Amino acid sequence: MNNLLSDTEISNLLTEQKQLPRLFRPLGTRKEKRGHYESEITLTGSDGHTFQIRYRQNTRYPTDFSVILLYQPERTNIARILRRYNGKSHEHTNKIERNTFYNYHIHTMTERYQREDGCSEDGYAEETERYSTAEEAIDCLIEDCSVRQLNVNKQLNEFGGA
Amino acid sequence: MDIEHTKKEFLQKVCADIRIVEEGVNRYRVFTPFTFDDGDHLAITLSQDENGVWRITDEGHTFMRLTYLIDEKDLRKGNRQKIIEASLMRHGIKEEDGELFISLKEVTPGDALFSLIQGIIQISDVSYLTREIVKSTFYEDFRTQITDIANSILPQKRDLTFDFDWSHPKQDPEGRYSVDCIIRDSGRPVFLFALNNDDKVRDVTINILHFEKLGMDFQSVGIFENQENISRSVLARFSDVCDKQFSQLSGNEERMSSYLNRAIVTG
Repeated sequence: MNNLLSDTEISNLLTEQKQLPRLFRPLGTRKEKRGHYESEITLTGSDGHTFQIRYRQNTRYPTDFSVILLYQPERTNIARILRRYNGKSHEHTNKIERNTFYNYHIHTMTERYQREDGCSEDGYAEETERYSTAEEAIDCLIEDCSVRQLNVNKQLNEFGGA
Repeated sequence: MDIEHTKKEFLQKVCADIRIVEEGVNRYRVFTPFTFDDGDHLAITLSQDENGVWRITDEGHTFMRLTYLIDEKDLRKGNRQKIIEASLMRHGIKEEDGELFISLKEVTPGDALFSLIQGIIQISDVSYLTREIVKSTFYEDFRTQITDIANSILPQKRDLTFDFDWSHPKQDPEGRYSVDCIIRDSGRPVFLFALNNDDKVRDVTINILHFEKLGMDFQSVGIFENQENISRSVLARFSDVCDKQFSQLSGNEERMSSYLNRAIVTG
C-alpha cells in the first residue's frame, strides 16, 4: 500500500500552516454547475505541500453542501480528501464501527479506513453541531485545519459567499 | 428452517430499513440502507414538482458529490458521459439541471425507488474512472544528472560548456531538430538525448540522421528512461545511428559519468 498515509502523516498535513492567498479575487466566486455551486482555492502549506479547499452546495437545498480540504501529493494529479464538512442531506454509516446517523457530519481520512477493504479513505465521519450552514462549515475547516487568513469577512466573500 | 418465519423476518428487516420522514411541504426524505463507498447514504426524497406531480428524486446530490474529485465538465464527455447516459436510459431516470428523478405518473413508488437507487449506484461508479497519472520526473532527473556530471568534468576541462534543448542556430533557427543536451569543448561535441517513449526515439533517430546529413561531427548518446519499454523495431533503427546508449538513467550514473569523461577528454 504505497500511498497509505499514516495517522501521524495525516495529522501533520492537517496541522501544517496554510495561508489563504491574499489576491484570491473573482476566481473564487462560486459558479453554478449542473444543480450546484462550486468554488475552490489552492493553498501552499508551510512545509511546501499543496492543498485545496473545495466548496459545493446544492442550488435547491442549502443544507446539502460539502466543504472539503484536499491534499495534492507532489508530482501527481491525485487529490485526496483529508477533511470533508458535510451538510444534512443524507445519513452516514461508519462501516467499521457500524453506527449510523442523520446529521451534519465531518469526514476525516484515517489510516484504519485506508487499510480496510471496501472502505473509502475518508469513510469515517463524526456528527457535529458546530455548524448548520456552508459558511459556518468553512469557518470550522479554517479553524480545524490550520488555515490562516488576514481578513475573515473579506476572504469569505471572495470564497464565494457560501 | 421455517420458511414462513424466514420470509416474515426478511420482509420486516427490508421494510424497516426503508423509512420515509416528512421534511417540508410535500417533501419527504427517503432513508435507505444503500451507501456510497465513503459510508454516505444515497440522498433520496419523495416530493412534488411545480405541477403537483410526485417524483422520487436525488435533488441533484449525486452529481454534486461526483464533483468532489472530478471536474464537472469531465462528466459530460468520454466514457463517463456514456456510462451516465446508459444508466439513465436503462432505469428510466430523467435528469434536469443535475437532478435525477423518476416521475410517479406512470411508475409505482416502489419501482421508481429501486430504479433510482440502481441508477445512482451505477452513475457513482464513474468515480472509479478517475485516472491516477503520476507525472514522470525523467526529464527533470536527466537535467540534474547531466548538470552534475558536466560540473564534475569542468575542473579538468575549463573550456567545457553545456546547453539543454539546443538546436543549430544557423541551420535550424526554428529549432525543429533539437538536442536535449549538447556538451562542447575543443573536441567533438557530445549530443545527449533523453528517451522515454517510441515517438521520442523515432524523432531522435531522424534528428541524428539530419545532423549527419548536414556533415556535423558529433558523438551521439541516448539515455533511456527504460529501454525495455521501447518497441523492438524502433529501437533497432535507433541503434543503427546512435554511438552509445544507456538503458536507464537511474542506476547508470557512474557509467555515464565515466563515459562522458572519456568522450570529452579524448574528443
